[in-house]
Amino acid sequence: MKSAILLGALVLTVILLIALPWVVPYFYIFIGTEILIMGLFAASFNLVFGYTGMLSFGHAAFFGIGTYATAMLLLHLQWPLLACLLVSMGMGALLALVIGFLSVRLNEVYFAMLTLAFGMMVFSIAHMWRSVTNGSDGIAGFTLGAFGLGIDLTLGNPAVYYHVVLAIVIVASLVLYLICRSSFGLILQAIRQNAERVSFCGLNIRLYRLAAFTISGAFAGLAGGMMAPFLRVASPEMMHWSTSAEPVLMSILGGTGYFLGPYVGSALFVLLETWITSVTQAWMLFLGIVLALMVMFFRRGILGTFLDWWLDKK
Amino acid sequence: MTKLKPGKLVTSLAAATLLSTGAIQVSADEHPIKLGAIYILSGSAATYGQFAQRGIDLAISEINGNGGVLGRDLELAIEDSQGKAAVAIQAARKLVYEDEVDVLMGLDSSGVAQGLVPTIPELQKPLIITHAATPDVTGNLCNAFTFRISTNVAQNMNAAAQIAAESDANRWTTIGPDYAFGHQSWEFFGNALKDLKPDVELMEDTAFPRFGAEDFTPFINGVMDSDAEGVLISLWGGDLVNFVRQATNLGFFEKDLELMFTVGAATEVLTALEDRMPEGVWLATRYWYDAYDNEINKNFVKAYIDAYGNPPSYNAEGAYAAVYAYKKAMETTGNTDGPALAKTLKGMSFDAPNGKVTFRAGDHQAMVSPNWGRSGPMHPEHGIRTLEDLRIFDAEKVSRTVAETGCTF
Repeated sequence: MKSAILLGALVLTVILLIALPWVVPYFYIFIGTEILIMGLFAASFNLVFGYTGMLSFGHAAFFGIGTYATAMLLLHLQWPLLACLLVSMGMGALLALVIGFLSVRLNEVYFAMLTLAFGMMVFSIAHMWRSVTNGSDGIAGFTLGAFGLGIDLTLGNPAVYYHVVLAIVIVASLVLYLICRSSFGLILQAIRQNAERVSFCGLNIRLYRLAAFTISGAFAGLAGGMMAPFLRVASPEMMHWSTSAEPVLMSILGGTGYFLGPYVGSALFVLLETWITSVTQAWMLFLGIVLALMVMFFRRGILGTFLDWWLDKK
Repeated sequence: MTKLKPGKLVTSLAAATLLSTGAIQVSADEHPIKLGAIYILSGSAATYGQFAQRGIDLAISEINGNGGVLGRDLELAIEDSQGKAAVAIQAARKLVYEDEVDVLMGLDSSGVAQGLVPTIPELQKPLIITHAATPDVTGNLCNAFTFRISTNVAQNMNAAAQIAAESDANRWTTIGPDYAFGHQSWEFFGNALKDLKPDVELMEDTAFPRFGAEDFTPFINGVMDSDAEGVLISLWGGDLVNFVRQATNLGFFEKDLELMFTVGAATEVLTALEDRMPEGVWLATRYWYDAYDNEINKNFVKAYIDAYGNPPSYNAEGAYAAVYAYKKAMETTGNTDGPALAKTLKGMSFDAPNGKVTFRAGDHQAMVSPNWGRSGPMHPEHGIRTLEDLRIFDAEKVSRTVAETGCTF
């Protein structure tokens, strides 16, 4: 019964998301696009954090390299968007494979520090390699061409682009969800709960962690790629550690224990940011207060706390 | 619990309808024209946004006091760009779609302008840039909706090269912020100077500290240890204030160097530095409040000082003039339709504090000259350095030709 209600709520949410451009003020199409992209980014991060139990503080590197890949392909080669996004995904995975290879052997705070260090290294390269990345100005001034597959879409129209992002995020999230539900995903959760026991079963923990990290990097790269046509600029700030903190905050806000938690966290984060910054510049102060309250009283996040309570209820 | 009688309900509904139709009629008549502005309002360059807002507020209060534009009041909606392109693009979308502004203005940073300008045609609202100086936005990135009222890097550096060519210095280097503005300033300065004086040496050894860097000591020492004779300094805002303080402590200004500060005469900076800005160095600004002897400028400077206590900066003047440019464009067009306004602005001339200004039809760049001068004694009332040997150039001569800009619409 309850799973039927949950499925119904999910279907209803998707229908509402599809109808969004016709029911909300025009400006909220941009907010919606940002929520979806950041939601996928946070969900990719949560595969490593919530499922595998590794706190990565360098995920902006994979997100950012995706943005740069799509922005540079659009600028120099005018590829169709779909092809650009596949390259972004590949670049995210490749970078995650390299950084992951050097990082996953370590645990907890050491892993977090190492990913932070590698993330900042990538940031510095983007910032300083002026001839390729255009330094702190970033890549801008590219135009949006075709979507690919012969589908005729005006990507410059914000409502059209919102639907493109929605479709891609739904497909990518389904794939990510199936990965989490597979036997591979179960092993990742087992590693989070008790790594030693899993290794005594004869499984190579490092390999599983590296695989999770690389898959996560691929989806972060995809999310980053979608950011380029949305923001119209790829800048080094997108690789800064403060961008790495966003999926962490979103996952905690929404709840790391459920697959959809990061998406809810992304919605809360972006909406709060929009509303609070239009009243005061001190948005970080309010975010800090909200986070402190969350961690003290709703450690499972908004969605997590609600679902825990509702599923326990008779 | 009070029960609502049907009769009462009808009366109150009728009253509500009457009230709301009345309200609609009033708002149709007095519905203000909205200006959307994007400036840096936080961080080390926040005074630039603050001064620009003062210029806008002054222009709006003058215009509204004289009956507004097309019988409607002007109203300002302002957003913080934080000096980041991505933030500014979101801000522009918010201003246009959420706040429903009629026109856009602002931009303090070249990097922000390069990111935002290509997206402006989608918004279908004109943008007048009042500060950001990258040549690209009235060059290869130009579009039908984007205009610039302030001096660009090409105009300023062509003028700078003329002054540099007259000096004895033959070996030049630069210290500038590590983004479009710093790099393009050096590139345009070097090319212009080479044309005027082919035997000058442009040194390979240049310094580009990160924008917002706190410590300039290594860069200052680097120049002092080199055999440079002239230094082009394109640092601005809080960076320039920090640089001058640290350079003074290190004895940089005691060395026999020809120093040219490309935006050193910003009153934001001069006010912060007071007499710590050294005497006898070349300082430039897009507009110097004491340089123009005309009625508009006299009234503007007086009204500004009366309202805020210090003389207007170029950023205040650019913002003030942009509001008047929009006023004229709206009155000429007869409405506030975005594409129609953009057509009117193309090639339009109007009177600004710095004289008659024209948005050149070929690239939408205002034909204006930078003001260069040598820093002189402190002003007795304004508490900032004066400018001596003031130089105002022929705007047509220091501007690139339309063909050189690479702009095509």
